[in-house]
Amino acid sequence: MSEKKNVIVRIAGAAGDGIASTGELFGKTCSRMGLHVMAYNAYQSAIRGGHVWLQLNVGEEKTRCHGEQPDVALLLNKTSPEVHIPDMKSGGIVFYDISKIKEDLSVIRDDLQYYGLDFKELCDFPGVSPVMVNVLLAGALIQTVGLDTGVSLEFFKEKFTKKGDEIVEVNQKVFNAGVAWAKANTKSGLSLKGDGKKRMFMTGNDAIGMGLLAGGLKSYAAYPMSPATGILHYLSTQAKKAKIIVKQTEDELAAANFAIGAGHAGVRAATATSGGGYCLMVEAVGLAGMLEIPVVLINVQRGGPSTGLPTKQEQADIKLVMGGNGDFPRIVIAPKDVEDAFFQSARALNLAEKYQCPVIILSDLFLSEHYQTVDPFDFSKISIERGKFMKELPAGAARYKRYEVTEDGISPRLMPGAAGHMYCSGSDEHDENGELISDILAGLPRAIDVRMKMHPKRMRKEETMLKENDINLPEIVGPKDAKLTLLGWGSTFDYIEEACETLRADGLSVNHLHFTDLYPMDREKLVEVFNSCNEIVAVENNMSNQMSKLILAETGFELKRFINRFDGEPFTGEYIVNAVKEKELAHA
Amino acid sequence: MPEITDKPVTIADYKGDVHPDWCPGCGDFGVLSVLQRALAEMGIPANEVMIVSGIGCSSNLPGFINTYGLHTLHGRSLPIAQGFKLANHAMNVVACGGDGDGYGIGVGHFIHAMRRNIDMTYVVMNNSIYGLTTGQTSPTSGLNMKTKSTPFGNPEMPLNPIALALSAGCSFVARGFSGNPKQLVEIYKAAVKHKGFAYIDTFSPCVTFNKVNTAQFYRDNTYEIEGENHDKTSKAAALERALETDRIGTGIFYVQERSQYEEFEKEVLEKPLVQHELGLSKDLQHKLIEQFV
Repeated sequence: MSEKKNVIVRIAGAAGDGIASTGELFGKTCSRMGLHVMAYNAYQSAIRGGHVWLQLNVGEEKTRCHGEQPDVALLLNKTSPEVHIPDMKSGGIVFYDISKIKEDLSVIRDDLQYYGLDFKELCDFPGVSPVMVNVLLAGALIQTVGLDTGVSLEFFKEKFTKKGDEIVEVNQKVFNAGVAWAKANTKSGLSLKGDGKKRMFMTGNDAIGMGLLAGGLKSYAAYPMSPATGILHYLSTQAKKAKIIVKQTEDELAAANFAIGAGHAGVRAATATSGGGYCLMVEAVGLAGMLEIPVVLINVQRGGPSTGLPTKQEQADIKLVMGGNGDFPRIVIAPKDVEDAFFQSARALNLAEKYQCPVIILSDLFLSEHYQTVDPFDFSKISIERGKFMKELPAGAARYKRYEVTEDGISPRLMPGAAGHMYCSGSDEHDENGELISDILAGLPRAIDVRMKMHPKRMRKEETMLKENDINLPEIVGPKDAKLTLLGWGSTFDYIEEACETLRADGLSVNHLHFTDLYPMDREKLVEVFNSCNEIVAVENNMSNQMSKLILAETGFELKRFINRFDGEPFTGEYIVNAVKEKELAHA
Repeated sequence: MPEITDKPVTIADYKGDVHPDWCPGCGDFGVLSVLQRALAEMGIPANEVMIVSGIGCSSNLPGFINTYGLHTLHGRSLPIAQGFKLANHAMNVVACGGDGDGYGIGVGHFIHAMRRNIDMTYVVMNNSIYGLTTGQTSPTSGLNMKTKSTPFGNPEMPLNPIALALSAGCSFVARGFSGNPKQLVEIYKAAVKHKGFAYIDTFSPCVTFNKVNTAQFYRDNTYEIEGENHDKTSKAAALERALETDRIGTGIFYVQERSQYEEFEKEVLEKPLVQHELGLSKDLQHKLIEQFV
């Protein structure tokens, strides 16, 4: 194989075989060398015994995709060969554990290089345990890919230093045995040079958690649900340092309402769940809309409906987050990548306070759980803006009205506790003071008058969001006059970009229209954007084109051509390219 | 700055502008006035009180008292109240609602709030009927009781909320009757003073839809447990009284001195969260980044 700019690696085995720790070692070796990594984790809803694999695409330049065919694979269990050997690139290298895999692999395919490593023979020194076979194979892998093995040795030091020098040394020894074996027995010709800039190696959930902290989060409540639980784990470990409350509640009803209680008190609050849990939160989201309480709700989508595909990818909760009884203002944001997830999470907290309404972040399993290298975030880009929030009123101020009717729909918000300005917020329709008009007053002229003022006041906030340019239009990437436009939203950004690059290299005229702010929509401006495109094809990681339908409902613009994927996997650039070609969507 | 006055707190401070729209004779009037009296007698300024309710006749209470108030969703007063309390623990937080709200749709939150033990008070106005929806069976309606939804009699056993609270780890368990304000005001004061989650099941008869559990019924069938030298530090003694079937005890059944939830968050809650500066120090930003490099 000749020298190349990126290498695709797959690590596969049973749950519990150390796939994640091997991935971390490999990923951090790359990220510390200044290489770029994009990883995708395939796992099942089983704690032990399920077959899992991790694919990492390492490049000297930013890698947009976890890639299709691996160049190198580590196979750690008996199930691995039949699953992964067919996926390999011709000429690829396979390392495997001969204690688990005993058959002749060349029967499956004869165009690969197979290297079986014998842990017992190679690691015959004191203190080792057979579970460290993944470390041996990692040594062979890292040597073969041409990475700096010294960086890996340093990683062991940090990782195991608390467990004592012996553990560090034995890991390094096993690793070195793998390195030495690969040096002596393999020829790969692979090498990767990093730019020396150390990068972070993290998931979207980590980025969301850090973004919330950067944005001034003070109270976080959640009920565990894949694939949103990573945010709870991350924030729990940071809670004491960042001085925030993190509460695991009895269910999602409690989580959302706990956050709303905190938001009403005057702190920045959030909750996260996946679609099924969000179903339970819908009532609370409406409450936040009605009581005008800032709260951020994160829905990390997974395959639905119902329990659906708990460990698989889908973008099919737009209809859900647009739901709820009655009309209330809200904002829906779908971050496009890991870095964006960080900034959008901080931004969501600002928007929630400015507009005193629920702000929903739509992530998904792919964005939230895949590992990626990211340049360290620039915190100085984040400023905390609290809108019309006040801790107290000046002495002698007129009697405060919590729901004062204003032109922009946003009322001054006084933190509960101030003397002399007590108010009650009611989830029934209420007047400017919060007094209910629903019981004995219902249907009387005064109540109708109040309803006709208060309901439009709340809904006016959506107009204000658009007027104040707080909602971003979709971005267009690539030549403006392209013949074909691929429309996407949220986490598919990098895949669509990769597809566009490939298609353009093939001589096709393509660009990319990408939504990160999904709602509210500015009808006039969007129609203008759509009309400036030639042929638009929507790319949605769902079956029923939920974004296209929202666009139709909100703007009247009908999308007619689609690329869908709903088998539980994220798109890849190649998948989109093939779909464009197969469906003859593009013309040269 | 809030106006600084040294005026003593009076019950007038707690009188709301809105007249309650409960049916004449409703037990909730008694609960409201006892709550106002208890808070005033304790000298708590009305602006330092947040009352959170669910949905139902009794959940309209926050609208009729001059404190901060939140009238929320059916069954959800407790999670909202707990989220509020941990965000601003300088406020006195009282949650309230009916038996349908607390023992029916919200019973999951009730159980977990008790074992969690956040410092707040929970008043359930228990009338053993769904009043606002015009008279259906509730979790505390008696066996065989005829209601609009059980015209042939209620086939389900009523819940015993005091026994439930004792087994769920509630650190303050009491029962009162709106028709016995003298005892009730002392219970409410002790509850508000209690460090931890204080729960008071309060009989509050519905004059319109419950013709069984009337004020007269409670006058005839209740007795004050403190009159019988009840040991409120003994969970076994409390449970024994909770399980009585021939008469109904009122008073403080059980008090346990144990760490309130806030103590587990001591470093974070050194001052109320609402008073924290927002944003991260440069040092912490650096540490957050380093963790992933």
